[in-house]
Amino acid sequence: MSYAKTLQQLLALSLLVFGLGACDLKDDLLPSSSDQRGAVTTGSTGNMPGQIAADFTIKDLNGNDFILSDHLTGGSNPADVVVLYFTMWCPICLSHSDHIYTNVMPQFLGRGTVVYGLVDYVSGSVSATYAAAQANGYVGSSYSILADVDQAVLNQFNGAMGITIVIDSDGTILMNEDYRTGDTLVQILDQQLP
Amino acid sequence: MKHYKKPINSYIGAVLITSTALVFSPVEWIPTAHAASCCGGGSASSLVLPKFSKAMLDVSMDYEHYDGFWDNNGDWVEDPEGSSLNQYRINMGYAHRLAPNWQGSVTLPYVFNQNKYASLERNTNGIGDGTVSVWYEAFEKITCVWDVKNWEDLMPAIYMGGTLTIPTGTSPYDDVVDNFDITGRGAYRLDASVLIDKTIYPWNMSFGASYGKYLERPVNREYGTYVAPYHKQYGDRLNTNLSFGYTYFTDEMESITTTLAYAILKEDEARIDGVIDTTSGISKESVSMTMAWATENRDWVYKLTYSHAPSRDGWGENFPTTDVLTVGVSHVLR
Repeated sequence: MSYAKTLQQLLALSLLVFGLGACDLKDDLLPSSSDQRGAVTTGSTGNMPGQIAADFTIKDLNGNDFILSDHLTGGSNPADVVVLYFTMWCPICLSHSDHIYTNVMPQFLGRGTVVYGLVDYVSGSVSATYAAAQANGYVGSSYSILADVDQAVLNQFNGAMGITIVIDSDGTILMNEDYRTGDTLVQILDQQLP
Repeated sequence: MKHYKKPINSYIGAVLITSTALVFSPVEWIPTAHAASCCGGGSASSLVLPKFSKAMLDVSMDYEHYDGFWDNNGDWVEDPEGSSLNQYRINMGYAHRLAPNWQGSVTLPYVFNQNKYASLERNTNGIGDGTVSVWYEAFEKITCVWDVKNWEDLMPAIYMGGTLTIPTGTSPYDDVVDNFDITGRGAYRLDASVLIDKTIYPWNMSFGASYGKYLERPVNREYGTYVAPYHKQYGDRLNTNLSFGYTYFTDEMESITTTLAYAILKEDEARIDGVIDTTSGISKESVSMTMAWATENRDWVYKLTYSHAPSRDGWGENFPTTDVLTVGVSHVLR
């Protein structure tokens, strides 16, 4: 019987501790629909839409440098838009990147130049990124597979699984949010591309 | 191995493939195996209080190991090299008799995420999503029998219930650093459930099904970053399981029950601002084996469950492939 009482007390204590822990979880218990985004100074450097993306260098699957500024106006290989998708090779990541590949890319073929980058922030080396890209079916695809070996690009954009970044030819960030349905990406590309 | 994706030019004029997936939340996909069947003694069913009992306490620990995932075609894909993804959960449950044919229960997990990749390691923990359930027992007496003497002996125990899942866990829409902090889905869900359980000693069979509907919620933050507000509603969820058990009685009338179960989980596509998210939607099939040892008076039940999802094509879609080992104990208060 004392065993049962001890178990009951442990349960009560645990519920109390967990209850206290839940106090800062009102975002889910009472979710808000208010727009809490802070003001952004246009032209400042940062990671929010409206800000300028700082330049970065990252390795692609061939070990070559992928430099953001190379793909902006005045760069060696300029594009109208750069799209970055952060992947950790998970189910939702693959579903999103497949959606970009099969639904978004074909819609804008022939309309300007878009660089689609798949940023792997978990594999830790170019060779491991290659293996992951191969397992997920992307070696030889139209994606630029990028190995963010030290999470520098992830941290620069405050990224996470599924976060999609869109940067225009001037380096201005147009999108930094979850991929969701892909509709926002499509709308932005439609506006930006000739 | 996933199929090779052709360069984009090859897709010109091709039929566009719609992909589906889920919003990955590492918790709650495997129904926790709670002890005690309607007769007492244990099965791999929901947290159900034995007939005529007053209350029950249930504590269990899960170890869930991730081993790749299924893509939107149902093809199994391996995790990145050097990764080791695990989740531990401590689950607490309490069931209480509300009336002769009514019982209620609450459950709450505490979740430990252990994510190790070649270049990244994150260990986080927090409470998961809790549940509150009410069950109606559509039978008046214990339906477990030793012999079938008339048709009434064939009547099963039928439970009908409702469960509210409360988003007490940490979701992508909380103030989190990144996806590794997640311990819950972030949305309320209402489930209607039925559990049919029949024991003709030493054999047992049970069937459970639940249909859940998520409530729409506003979202104004993703992984700690505020975004333009929108509304999200996860897809409806159907969970079914079928199990068969055999009970062995010792000379002291302690029981050892072995249960084999097969479960299917399906979740429809989510909606964002009313628009169907074609990248969502999940499914998973799994099998499990449970060993439950109950004391002579059935007041204490000790349980060990191993749930397995094969790392093979066709057993799921858009979902992690995991194995779960659960150890637990239940105490029934008469």
